[in-house]
Amino acid sequence: MVTKLRVLLQIAWRNLFASWLNVIIGLVILGGTFLVVVGGSALDSLDRSMSRSIIGSVSGDLQVYAASSKDKLSLFGQMGGGDADLTPIPSFARVKEVLMKVPNVRAVVPMGAANAIITSGNTVDVMLARLRDAQKRMQAGDASAKAEVDSLKAHVHHIVQVLKEDRKNADKLVDESAKDPRAEEAIERVSKDEFWAEFDQDPFGSLEYLENRIAPLLSDGQMAFLRYFGTDLDAFAQAFDRLQIVDGQMVPQGHRGMLLPKFFYEESFKLKHARRLDLIKEEIEENHATIAKNADLQRMVRENMTQPREILFQLDPLKTKEAAARLQKSLKTNETDLEKLLVQLFDTNDQNFQEHYRIFYSDLAPLLELYRLRIGDSIPIRTYSRSGYAHSANVKVWGTFNFKGLEKSPLAGVAAPMDLITFRELYGYMSPERRTELERIKQAAGAQDISREDAEAALFGGSGEDAAGTEGATTAIDEAALFDSGGAARAEETTFTQADIDNGIFINAAVMLKDPGALSQTIQDIQAASDANGLGLKVATWQEAAGIIGQFVQYLRYALYVIAIIIFLVAMLILSNAVLMATLQRVREIGTMRAIGAQRGFVRMMIAIETLALGTAFGGTGLALGAGLVALVGHSGIPAVSRQLYFFFGGPRWFPEVSVTNMVIAYGIVLVVSILSTLYPAMIATRVSPVVAMASDE
Amino acid sequence: MAAIVSISDVYKDYHLDKVVVPALRGITLDVHHGEFISIAGPSGSGKTTLLNLIGCVDTATRGVVSVAGQDTGKLPESKLTDLRLNTIGFIFQSFNLVAVLDVFQNVEFPLLLQGKLSAAERRKRVMGLLEQVGLANHARHRPSELSGGQRQRVAVARALVTQPQIVLADEPTANLDSTTGQNIIDLMRELNQKQGTTFIFSTHDPKVMKHAQAVVMIADGRITGRTTPEAAALHAAGGAH
Ligand SMILES: Nc1ncnc2c1ncn2[C@@H]1O[C@H](COP(=O)(O)OP(=O)(O)OP(=O)(O)O)[C@@H](O)[C@H]1O
Ligand SMILES: [Mg+2]
Repeated sequence: MVTKLRVLLQIAWRNLFASWLNVIIGLVILGGTFLVVVGGSALDSLDRSMSRSIIGSVSGDLQVYAASSKDKLSLFGQMGGGDADLTPIPSFARVKEVLMKVPNVRAVVPMGAANAIITSGNTVDVMLARLRDAQKRMQAGDASAKAEVDSLKAHVHHIVQVLKEDRKNADKLVDESAKDPRAEEAIERVSKDEFWAEFDQDPFGSLEYLENRIAPLLSDGQMAFLRYFGTDLDAFAQAFDRLQIVDGQMVPQGHRGMLLPKFFYEESFKLKHARRLDLIKEEIEENHATIAKNADLQRMVRENMTQPREILFQLDPLKTKEAAARLQKSLKTNETDLEKLLVQLFDTNDQNFQEHYRIFYSDLAPLLELYRLRIGDSIPIRTYSRSGYAHSANVKVWGTFNFKGLEKSPLAGVAAPMDLITFRELYGYMSPERRTELERIKQAAGAQDISREDAEAALFGGSGEDAAGTEGATTAIDEAALFDSGGAARAEETTFTQADIDNGIFINAAVMLKDPGALSQTIQDIQAASDANGLGLKVATWQEAAGIIGQFVQYLRYALYVIAIIIFLVAMLILSNAVLMATLQRVREIGTMRAIGAQRGFVRMMIAIETLALGTAFGGTGLALGAGLVALVGHSGIPAVSRQLYFFFGGPRWFPEVSVTNMVIAYGIVLVVSILSTLYPAMIATRVSPVVAMASDE
Repeated sequence: MAAIVSISDVYKDYHLDKVVVPALRGITLDVHHGEFISIAGPSGSGKTTLLNLIGCVDTATRGVVSVAGQDTGKLPESKLTDLRLNTIGFIFQSFNLVAVLDVFQNVEFPLLLQGKLSAAERRKRVMGLLEQVGLANHARHRPSELSGGQRQRVAVARALVTQPQIVLADEPTANLDSTTGQNIIDLMRELNQKQGTTFIFSTHDPKVMKHAQAVVMIADGRITGRTTPEAAALHAAGGAH
């Protein structure tokens, strides 16, 4: 038997390069192995780098949430956009206490995510809000506010004049009948000096007129979709240690507020012109794009040139002059009109872009408000709980953040971390007792009696238009009254303690492990601890918790498997055919062997071993080439060319690695496919009659 | 002495697209141990067909073919293969060596299939035979590096390596020039005489026939006579006109 095998191997080895058919068979096997090794390694590495991203920026190693929840936890939000329906868990302290006793658990961070639509007011809105604020301070006796009021007044006056000029130009194109006479009248009135002279007699009346009649005429206000999550901010920063503050500061301990993802802040709040310049610069520098060839960049240049309004509105008369003078000098031109200067500045091409970029930031930017929302300002956030009640809070933005290595990824930090106390208020959780209590209070007081103004004053410190309707606002104050006993004061300025954080509801919690390798054991341990203590928790791996994005690699893997299966099926057909042809070329040899006493089994073995030898030799070569390529690429890394890739690559460059498992699997697949593809040819070969050996040559 | 090959009233039909080609039509023949017999006849007379039946690579349509005491018509394919391996040696018209194996390995091949001998024993047996056929120096050559005569000598060595009782050779000299062919026949005769191996070979060639002990004349699937080589040669020469 052994000697037979030896001669078979010998024949197989000698046959390897005997026929061009074998070379084809070999190349198919080589290609297949190469593909599986490279593809498999790529996926494994992608899986690793992405898990680093998700674990380090969003989910932690594991997530726990209430087992009784209707939906599955989905940290990036659900497919349809809405949030998963998760049952809140009453006390974080209890869960933390139990979970921290599980040996492999390093930290437990409470969480809870929700979506909100926020509006960043338009330029006039922002100006008017400041004017109102300064006016109040002046009346309260703050003498320094006087200068601010005057400057803001001049600024708004200037905006209206620009607006009027604009509309005059537009009028030439628009049919008379399409004009709104009320708008014309308002602009006419406000652009006159008399309006401003009389302003001080009824400052708040004038402000209201401006807010109601002028502000809506400017359409540069923006709605933005904000995803936020309440958490124990200090615990979060500690557990997710790649978190770094970019602007401003961390929300101080015990204070309310939130951090915005840097990317979101740039995208949603930065002056559009500046943002576009940044994007163009990035494309040019990182992807070697040229304005001449890239349609996207050309569009951004065009948009910057055709929309100078946003900048003009921002500048009061003094600053307008200053800006014009600076641009005149830097652009070396005699042009005095700022609008035309701006067009010149933004009219960039590949030659002058860097220079104009510099001019924008050194000359113009200091005169501008580069962000609609200043760090330290508050954003009004309004949400609707599942019970249908509206909840609002003004949440202070203390700073912006990103994750180290994932600075460019819009996916890392899709959500704004917020203090858990504010989150709970916005979430509007009511225990059954509180709900009945609320009903009782409502009935006793008669809900209609609470005036809307009072409710708003209590909630928002008197600012903001209410779009949600009386019912929502009315109940909101009732709930606010239930939540913080103070109720009336500016909620955003109250502080809280660690006990406040821990003794309250949360929706889900991130669990960080000491040894992330022992994932499945820890899942069991946590589940057991939860069951033993009646916590009713469900444990999800980061992959499950991250929903679609977490499963992205899984899907890629399936796709690769499908492709690999198709390739191998095709390869099997090709192989089978090629082996068959190679067999038929050797009919005389096989017949001779049969004639001189070789059994059918011997012939079958011979074909199988030959293909296996091909598989071993060429498969091995494919393996080596694939591993070599991965190692080579893994050495220098693949740059993340798009922002999304940063997340999947776990950083700016991706370093794929070869895994032994992968190579073993690839090799195994190749050998199995080789054997399978010999089944038919081997069967044909065994049917070769020894008679053919006797036949004389044709 | 008992016949080692015993054929009685054997018919063999080939089926070609519904047409029945009768290749053998009632052959009866006994071959005894140690004989050196030639089967002669014109092209298409059924020589190869007869040798196939004796060599157990094919079975008769009718009649009994008995080789070494076994009725081949009653044996399953694997037993026939065993019979070929252990009892019969083959020499083919076009040598049929395994191209990727060297001379030594080609000769050794049947021994490996048998799996009875140790490596040392095999080596001794193979080298002994190569010595006898005069190719001891060529043991590590590939068939493609040898002349036709040399190749056929390798084939002779391979046929004899298992020490079979019968060696069948279908026109062993047809692909060789006449001198070389003579040498092969001489070699076969020598081995026949030294070892007592039975040889049955077919040929057209009168010069080859005359080395045989007896010539079985065959025409149209029937045996027309069993004569001396000289008579057969005369007959063949006459038939050629
Ligand atoms: N496989 C086959 N299928 C059909 N007919 C066959 C087959 N083999 C042989 N024959 C026919 O059987 C008859 C005998 O053929 P065979 O090969 O035995 O003759 P032969 O004497 O060996 O001839 P040659 O001297 O040409 O080798 C011929 O008529 C031949 O055409
Ligand atoms: Mg013939």
